[in-house]
Amino acid sequence: MKNLFSKERWKYLFYTVSHPSDGFYWIRHQERGSVAIAVLLVILYAIAFSMNRIYASFVVNDIEPRTVNSIAELAGVLMLYFVLCLGNWSITCLMEGEGRFKDILIAIGYSLVPMIITTVLATIVSQGVAENEEAFYTILMGIGTAYSVVMMLIGIMQIHNYTLGKTIVTLFLTIVAVLIIVFLTLLVFNFITQVYTFFRSIYTELIFRF
Amino acid sequence: MKRMILRTLCLAAILCLLAPYALATGSLPYDCYNYDYWNNILYTPAPYVPNGNISGVSLIWQGESLGAFRSPQDLCVSPDGKLYIADTGNNRIVVLSEDMKTVLQVIDGFEAEGKHETFNAPYGVAVSENQQLYIADSQNRRIVVLELDGTFVKYVQNPQSEVLDEKFVFTPLKVSVDYADRVYCVAQNMFQGIMVFSSEGDFTGFFGTISVKISLWERFWRKVSTKEERSKQQLFIPTEFTGIDVDEEGFVYASNKDTDGIQAVRRLNPRGEDVIRKGPKENVGGDLVFNSIGIYSGPSQIVDVVYRDHGIYSLLDAKRGRIFTYDHEGNLLYIFGGIGTQEGTFRMPAAIEQLDRNLLVLDSLQATVNIFSVTEYGALINEAVGLRFNGDESLAIPLWQEVLKLDENNELANSGIGKAYLSAGDNENALLYLRRGMNRAYYSVAFKRWRNEALRDNISWFLTGVVVLVILLVVWNRFIKPKRGVRRAKGGKAA
Repeated sequence: MKNLFSKERWKYLFYTVSHPSDGFYWIRHQERGSVAIAVLLVILYAIAFSMNRIYASFVVNDIEPRTVNSIAELAGVLMLYFVLCLGNWSITCLMEGEGRFKDILIAIGYSLVPMIITTVLATIVSQGVAENEEAFYTILMGIGTAYSVVMMLIGIMQIHNYTLGKTIVTLFLTIVAVLIIVFLTLLVFNFITQVYTFFRSIYTELIFRF
Repeated sequence: MKRMILRTLCLAAILCLLAPYALATGSLPYDCYNYDYWNNILYTPAPYVPNGNISGVSLIWQGESLGAFRSPQDLCVSPDGKLYIADTGNNRIVVLSEDMKTVLQVIDGFEAEGKHETFNAPYGVAVSENQQLYIADSQNRRIVVLELDGTFVKYVQNPQSEVLDEKFVFTPLKVSVDYADRVYCVAQNMFQGIMVFSSEGDFTGFFGTISVKISLWERFWRKVSTKEERSKQQLFIPTEFTGIDVDEEGFVYASNKDTDGIQAVRRLNPRGEDVIRKGPKENVGGDLVFNSIGIYSGPSQIVDVVYRDHGIYSLLDAKRGRIFTYDHEGNLLYIFGGIGTQEGTFRMPAAIEQLDRNLLVLDSLQATVNIFSVTEYGALINEAVGLRFNGDESLAIPLWQEVLKLDENNELANSGIGKAYLSAGDNENALLYLRRGMNRAYYSVAFKRWRNEALRDNISWFLTGVVVLVILLVVWNRFIKPKRGVRRAKGGKAA
């Protein structure tokens, strides 16, 4: 919590955005990042994402407003963030990655900054865009996404002290790990429900008999 | 005072009880709906309501009951408004007057080449502009052409061509005639297209052939399977046409089976090319959303098409008993109808026709003609779309406004009104209505105009702001920044 209000950490966040390679290196080795800020950024991204879906201009927005549920989207983004970090952590632990779970949380959280900024900007820009001018909007969104992906790549590379090739391989394996985690979670939930219904049916049976 | 309150409360309670019934489409046995931009089903007021039906039993012919129809398959309305019913199972054609109450004629045979001939399962019937009756006499393998009074004109039969298989048996099912007396015929087991006959009765070729679409996946499986396996696989044959109608310009509307539910009707130009417009959803195949498993699942099964007027045409779905009506641009105007045994529903719909302002649907299993009469809602839409078809879009505005009073979700109405505001120069209202009508193209036009106007009106403020900003910047750089710098430098020294 203290980190959230530390001016230095916030300044360092923007240093990391403009100098990702250097920035992420010192986050790993000098504790200059903050998990609290990273999580806050993820929440901000979720809000920006939902706002974009609701408020982007009619010309560029094909989403039915009734399907936008910002609370569910916030939960979804947070969950995805957490599972992604967990997946990356479990893979890099086995592949001589130097980063701790904390560093992964920070790296992925910080690399969302360009996406937050461009999503908000693009939503504002879309208000002044007519047909055939959607390019402004899409390019803006594209730039943000590309910058974020590059930052995430550099971040993972730096905190684990990997080469680029190895980073890409681990990222691919991370996705596999995420799928496995999701699969196992669903499986566990399914089992728990079955056990629960089993005991519940025993209970109802007893209630009806006696 | 107390009694008055009590009375009001009672009244409110009664109204609350009645409200759901008043809001629902009343006593209609079917749903009336349309799809919005996101393919959600939106229930609409009824465009057409059932208005009785005709069965053979209730009709009188020569002093006695006509007797029930037996599996009738086709309907046709002549240019002078008489109704022709192909009573297939009874081997006769029944002609009814315009009010559908009296039998004018029953044609069950004719004198040809000195012999008395009868029909064998007459499946389709059509009346040409030249007042001749065309009957697809299916089991006699011929199309019979008669004058309207029943005298024989000619046969269209025994098509000869190299493209036809030697074993091919000509079994005409549906028939239609254009202004030049060319005969278009849907024949059984004929997958190559609609058969066209010249006015002399010679077979001239196929029309509107539907090419087979093989997906990449199917092609892959055909590649990997052996010859033996391939011989047992399903054949890739083009779909069949099911019904035909000809519009006033001589374009042929032909409905076809479509397993994808994307295109169940074609509009064929004189060269046999499909020139239909599929609208913003790229679909003229009936229902857009349907269950993929279970009862009444799968895409609509369109069995007949009727060209009405002003580019409006209706499709008849045998699977769920719906009638889909489209305009010339391929927009869905309204949907109504259903399967059932109540009045106004069908068990096996076979053909659809328009008579005056009514739609007639022939049910082959119930052996009745169901009559649907247009409501205010349906009539307003028909008229407004007709005006737009003729290019008088501005005249349609009051009609669209009436439509909006009945159904505020109607996207066509919203977009029609938006376009009117746009041409009247009221950009803000145009933006509002065009957005409700989900019309991006016109919304953008309105938006550009609105943006230009807003820029023009506010450009002086904007430029003044820029000038003030520049001055402030100069002042900052010249006078304030150097002083602060000096102070800082001093502070630094002191430290």
